[in-house]
This record gives sequence, C-alpha cells and structure tokens, in this order.
Amino acid sequence: MIDVVVMAGDSAPVWILAAGPAGAAATYWALYRYYRNTDKSHAYERDTIIEAQQVTGGQEKVDHVSRTRKSSIDGDNSSKHRQRVQRLR
Amino acid sequence: MTQDAQPPRDPDAPVFDGPPLSLEEELAAARAEPEPGPDIDTVNAELADGINRCPKCGSTDVQLRASTGMLVCLFCRHQWQEDRVEEEFGLGVGIEELDGTVIAGGAGTIAADVADQVTLTCGGCGAEVVVDTAHAMNARCHWCRHTLNINQQTPNGAVPDAVLPFRLTHAEAVERIREFASKRRLFAHPRFKKEFVPENVLGVYLPYLVIDARAETTYVGKGEVQTRRWTEKSGDNTVTYYAADVYQVQRSVGLTVDDLTIEGAADRRDFDGSTTNNIINTILPFDTKNAVKWNSSYLVGFTSEKRDLDVDDLHPVMEEQLLSIGRSQVEGSLGQFDRGVRWEAEQVDVGGSRWVSMYLPVWLYSYYQENTQTLHYIAVNARTGETMGSVPVSQWRLITAALTVGTFLEGIAGAILVATA
Repeated sequence: MIDVVVMAGDSAPVWILAAGPAGAAATYWALYRYYRNTDKSHAYERDTIIEAQQVTGGQEKVDHVSRTRKSSIDGDNSSKHRQRVQRLR
Repeated sequence: MTQDAQPPRDPDAPVFDGPPLSLEEELAAARAEPEPGPDIDTVNAELADGINRCPKCGSTDVQLRASTGMLVCLFCRHQWQEDRVEEEFGLGVGIEELDGTVIAGGAGTIAADVADQVTLTCGGCGAEVVVDTAHAMNARCHWCRHTLNINQQTPNGAVPDAVLPFRLTHAEAVERIREFASKRRLFAHPRFKKEFVPENVLGVYLPYLVIDARAETTYVGKGEVQTRRWTEKSGDNTVTYYAADVYQVQRSVGLTVDDLTIEGAADRRDFDGSTTNNIINTILPFDTKNAVKWNSSYLVGFTSEKRDLDVDDLHPVMEEQLLSIGRSQVEGSLGQFDRGVRWEAEQVDVGGSRWVSMYLPVWLYSYYQENTQTLHYIAVNARTGETMGSVPVSQWRLITAALTVGTFLEGIAGAILVATA
C-alpha cells in the first residue's frame, strides 16, 4: 500500500475514503459476533482424543502457471477442514 | 414345535403369505439365527423400574450431590456411586480392532410405536404413576411420596447406556451465566437486560451418542509451489506477478478417534441460522470417560431430553467429522505448497465404530426474543464449566456504534486526503 501511495505521487489515493464504510461494517460484525457467537462450534478436530498414523501420499507435477496476479491457489481449502468436497465411494 | 403338532389346514381356505421366496431365501430363512441382543449389554442389572432404595437405610429419597458427583441418601446421608462405564464395558480399549458397527444396548434403534409415557406401579403403595420419559426419568408417587425411577432400557430411546453426573452446582452455573452476560451489557437488547434472571437456569441432561471409531481417510487435490515472483510497471502503479508449478497431490491417513460426541436429538442437531443450537454444541467436549452406569437417581431434580436419532441417522455425520479430522491431520504435510492446496475429492473408509448413548449435563438458560422469534441460549458445561451464549442485541445501538467508528475513520481519511492534496 505504501508503495502505491509513493508511486501515486503527491496526493493520497481516493480509495482511502472507503476506510469509513469498511470500518463501520467491521465494527458491526465484530460486536455482533461477540454478542451472538453465531460463528462458534465445537472444535472436534482439536478437542477429541485422536491417534493418527503417519500421513502417506505423494505429488506429481502436472502443470505450470507462467504468469498470474493471484498470490495463492484458487479455492485454497487446506485449512477449511469442514468444507466438504466431492466424495469418493 | 414339530410339523405334526400343527392343526390340519382346510384345503379350501385361501392362503396367501406374500410372493413365493426363492430357494436361497427359503434356505436362509430356515437357517435363521434367533434375533441377536445388543453388541454391548449395558443394562444395570442391579436396578429395576420402580423404587431405587438407599443401600444402607432403604429410603428412596436419593439424588445426586453435585459437589461430590455421588448419589446421596437424603435420609441417612449415605453416599455412593455407580461404576464408570469406561472400565465396566471396556469402552476405552480396542479401538484399533473395531470391526463393523458395534452398538451398545442403550443406543439401539428407536421403535416408532413405543410411547414416551411409562406407567409404573409404585412399590410403596401400589398406585399407578406415569413418567413422561421425553422430559424426565423420575416421578414422585403422589400418594406415598416415594420416588419412582425408570431404569430398564425401553426401545423409545429414553434410557441411555451411561450418564455423566452434574458437577457444577446451580449457584456456580448462575455465577458463570451472570459473568458471561455482564461482559455483554452495553449492546444487549434492553428487554433482555430487564428480564435477565440467571437464577432461572435449568439443569438438563441432553442425549448424545459417544463414538469410538477407526477410519482411513484419503484426499486428492491440487497444490501450487511458487517458482518466481516479479513486479511490472503498469501506468503509475506496479503490479506483482507470480509463476507456479501445479502438482496433483494425494494424502492418506489412518486414524482412531476416542469419544467423538454427537447430539442425539434432532432439535439440537439443527444448526441452521434460525436457531442458537451452535451454542450448546460449542460447550463440548465433556469428560465422557467419567460417565457411569445408568441409574436414574442421578436425574432426580433435573430434566432430560429424550434421544430421537438413531445410529443410522448419525452415521453420515460421523463420516463428515472423520473427514474433517483427517483433513486437519494431513494439513501439516503440505508445507512445501506455499501457494496453498485445493482439495477436490475425499474418501473415508470407516473400518469400525462403537456407539454408546449418554446423558450429558448442561445448565441451560434460555431467552425467547419475541420480535425476531429466536430462542437464545446461554449454556454451561456442567462438568468443565465452559460457558457460551447468545445475547440478543439492540440493533440501533450496534448501528450507532458502527456509524460512529465509520465517521471517525472517514474523518481521518478525509484529513489525509486534504493534507496530501
């Protein structure tokens, strides 16, 4: 962000005015969640007695992306353990 | 009974007993074994329906003393407890060897035609007393004041395999609920604040199925490794670009879980946005290892909710939770994929599972918000003391706070713009 401000020259970018609405929405959500706790649930992935064997598996290079503006893979769900994907039977 | 003992059949009488069976089906029917009993028999053989007497003085005024977790006779103050099911039924061992679905006696299929009401004949005076097992497992005889108990497993899902007694007292629960709500006063709905009476908290035994399972999980997806990062000028700005190698990733992990706990009542398992059931879910886990053999005297003075979900209903839920657990286990092996991994397919193979039904203790404060028709809970885990709740909010106060912060930030942004113009 600082890079951009410097590159823009003398004046700050106009999108800085979005800070007001963004801050208002963030405040609303933070307070609402603190009171209603709608996002909470039992963390059974962590709070259950689990004995896991060694993780096995492999990887194989299948493609190369030579130029993209995205800093991470599309639809990264490696830490969204509860997001279900196609079930193999 | 032999063939000869049957009465001779009238040859003219119409006979129809369903479509003819194939030879294989007839052979299978002929070899049929008698109906099997439960995989784990958890009936407390020392107790029958009716009167639970103090082993020392014979009084029936028996209830749980939460501070010690033991049953106490209110007449002679004798204290005792039931055995832990963990050792009694061998629930903590052999998870690696589980094969197929093992169901304890109290977690069996609920029969649709069994009524919730059970009529007991009072052993003290002979009066008929009705116990509504949907909400309670005891009743007092209104004639002689003996306490009558439901101890035998009935196929209506009301009697579980085990019970985890309350440990937190009413006063401790009230204190925790008050503390939870007092941290959330400023933006709480004024009517909630006015009507807040934490002393009204109710002790409830809620039905759960506690599962040990052995499973193998497999995941397939794509992972990316960054190979290059550079910036290019675009007008006045610079833009960052990336190059990456894409990998087909596969991971498998075998795991066992001990005492995975799932709600056994459909009303509590409903987690859509219109309920606050997630609150009750959040106060899990319980120390289910300390659950004891069923004795309905533990429920005297508390209400209970009947189980209405079967193992078959909850098997998909268990599979989903095992998949999530497996995903969390393999996450640590993905470090090389610095641009992340997108799982696209997953598989769980449940080698074996063991299902035990339990009543677990919850202090529950509920508040019905009329204007939104929402039932808010503040729940306290009556073993660990973990407290979670949903407090109704005053929307206009929340919006005022949000607008204030927004206006303040907008002022700063405006000042920066003016200063740098």
